[in-house]
Amino acid sequence: MKVLFLQPPLGGWVTWGRHIAINVNHAQLAANLREWYPEIEIKVLDCRALDMDERKMIDAINEINPDLIYMGDALQTTGVAAIAPRYKRAASLIKQQNKDVKICVGGFYYGANAPQILKETKEFDFIIYGETEVTLPELAKELSKKDPDIPSVKGLSYWDRGEVKVTAYRPLFKNLDDLPLPAYDLFPMEKYIGFGRIRNYVETYHSRGCPNGCRFCVGWTNYDPRGNSDWTHYRIRSAKRVVDELELLERKFGAKFVVMMDEDFNVYRPRIEGLIEEALKRGLNVKYFFMGRAPYFLRDKDLLKELRKAGLIQCLFGLEAVDEETLKKIKKRITVDEVEETVIRCRENKIGTVITWMVGFPDDDERAIKDRFERLDQIDPDIAALQMMTPLPGIPMTPEVEPYIEERDLSKWDFQHPVVRTKYLTREDLGRLAAWANREFYSKPGRIQRILYSKNIHLFCRLAARSYVETVDAHARAATKGEVFV
Amino acid sequence: MMKRDVHITARDLLNAMQFREGDLGRIGILSGQPQRIEMCLEILGNPIKNFSAFGYTLWTGEYKGKRITVGNGGMYAPDAALVTEIVCEGGVDVLIRLGSCGALRTYIDIDYVVIAEAALRGDGVTNYYVNDGFVPRAERELIEASSSIFDGKNVHYGTVWTTDALLRETKEIINRVIKEGAIGVDMVTSPFLTIANLYKRRALAILVVSDNLITGEMGFFDIRFFDAEREMVDKAFKLIEAIDA
Repeated sequence: MKVLFLQPPLGGWVTWGRHIAINVNHAQLAANLREWYPEIEIKVLDCRALDMDERKMIDAINEINPDLIYMGDALQTTGVAAIAPRYKRAASLIKQQNKDVKICVGGFYYGANAPQILKETKEFDFIIYGETEVTLPELAKELSKKDPDIPSVKGLSYWDRGEVKVTAYRPLFKNLDDLPLPAYDLFPMEKYIGFGRIRNYVETYHSRGCPNGCRFCVGWTNYDPRGNSDWTHYRIRSAKRVVDELELLERKFGAKFVVMMDEDFNVYRPRIEGLIEEALKRGLNVKYFFMGRAPYFLRDKDLLKELRKAGLIQCLFGLEAVDEETLKKIKKRITVDEVEETVIRCRENKIGTVITWMVGFPDDDERAIKDRFERLDQIDPDIAALQMMTPLPGIPMTPEVEPYIEERDLSKWDFQHPVVRTKYLTREDLGRLAAWANREFYSKPGRIQRILYSKNIHLFCRLAARSYVETVDAHARAATKGEVFV
Repeated sequence: MMKRDVHITARDLLNAMQFREGDLGRIGILSGQPQRIEMCLEILGNPIKNFSAFGYTLWTGEYKGKRITVGNGGMYAPDAALVTEIVCEGGVDVLIRLGSCGALRTYIDIDYVVIAEAALRGDGVTNYYVNDGFVPRAERELIEASSSIFDGKNVHYGTVWTTDALLRETKEIINRVIKEGAIGVDMVTSPFLTIANLYKRRALAILVVSDNLITGEMGFFDIRFFDAEREMVDKAFKLIEAIDA
């Protein structure tokens, strides 16, 4: 049995430039498979990292001759749902060459919509319904048997004599510390590059879910809707285990900047305290970034100085909207003042700040978006990551946004293209306002000089900001002309 | 009828601000863009704000043993004239303008540097200071000193045309000033050099190219422009280090 983890040729978010990151889902699943079923052979083909086009991909797959190919992501940052047409096309090309190879997809976007997507995608043999950690290894093990019992593999959608079926619900993996560390050694680590410039760049993923469950969040799409709001069942790797991973990445793979892609890293104060203690004790030099929530950062504001010493150079937290009514509707559970103070506290401690904010809520009109931008501009983070409402099936807000969806081409479902209109704005208006806001933010005298040149911000943060500044025109083309980048 | 020769002079303004002789450095850097001043202030040691009026602020600090004054002013010709006159009156001997310009040659790209050797006067301010035939000029020694710091194919020396009407840079006007030798266009250099010349001060205008009027390329928000702006500030201080002042 030979399993291939395939990252087909793929672009990325326009604002991130030529950003080539490890697929953290593949790295984790490869590790699980290796530890739990060592008899299964594992291969990795990251076409994006190796700069391989489709022809080269097919040649390489023919040479590897796998029995099972897996494609999927844990992270929205790979390109939100714009990954889906890419994976479908890769599967189609592969099947044209070899009908017998089995293809499975899973993770982000697929996890909540497995049977629906499978019905529309004959190129896939399996889609994992919910969490991938155990299901993929079990599927591989089952397929290695002479007479596989597919219905016995929980959390799976599959074809049975022309019909799509689903297996039983797969309960969540309880203790993330029981998972092996991702199998970085199988991946071309030297090829990964952040924001077009940062070498020795690694993305990691140390927790699952988020206890806050914001209604717009696309993270929900990782999880089987038959569960009990599984997205909100927050599970973590312990601080010690996180630092084990940082240490491994620094000492063995030379990592200099680790971007922790957990949707909500700082839920628990003891984990942050533990991270500081362990990182300082082990004398790590690696710098890192994590995402969290403003109220948690403020709860831990007394830790920011030590966190900076322990390697945190940049963090992200969401604003999304600035009026109480919208914040309440989307269940953001923050205040704008908390976000503002977090920026101030981080800046005092030389920690770079990234704020996400959104446009495209059903009630958005031009005034609402301009007011939102004005407040964001006043808060003045180092990076403002604008996300346009992308109502993937599986997120709580989708039913109410569904009537406003006007763009069905998934290659544009990447946060950077308007795919919905609002009650008051056309899709074109929304794209125009997004392009305007992005340019306004990244051309403001004073801010530009701070984020590109100030020594108070770590070089890696400046390089990330540079990517946003450089891509303002390209972002506008995506937002207003539909140019595709993922 | 008005009895005084001039309603307000630069000296009046300085006095109103409790100015004392020696407050300003012998070298002054002026720029219309506040962010360039901020970048200068990051380099300057112990800057003290010693003039502030009408939205113009001058700071004086130290750099490599020299006292330097930096200040905003020079977005447009009238405010460039006002601030230039104030610093000249306040005792600044060497004036360096850090600005931007549009290029009037295809080979001068966004992020290149134009050093103005002279100005063509298309502004309305200098008519109040000099006669029609007057040609404002940068000081030769400063130009020569700058050539060892601002060097390479991305730096061009020549005449800059100053206009007050950004949105009336028509084909007829632009082709005429090109024929008269202009390689760049801005909104400040003419009054800046004119007033420095009248006060017999040493002056130089260093301009980063923000756009190109021949190719139509706009680079006002281009990262190459931002980077060049940053580099211009750093090199201006190297120039200050190199000159005898």
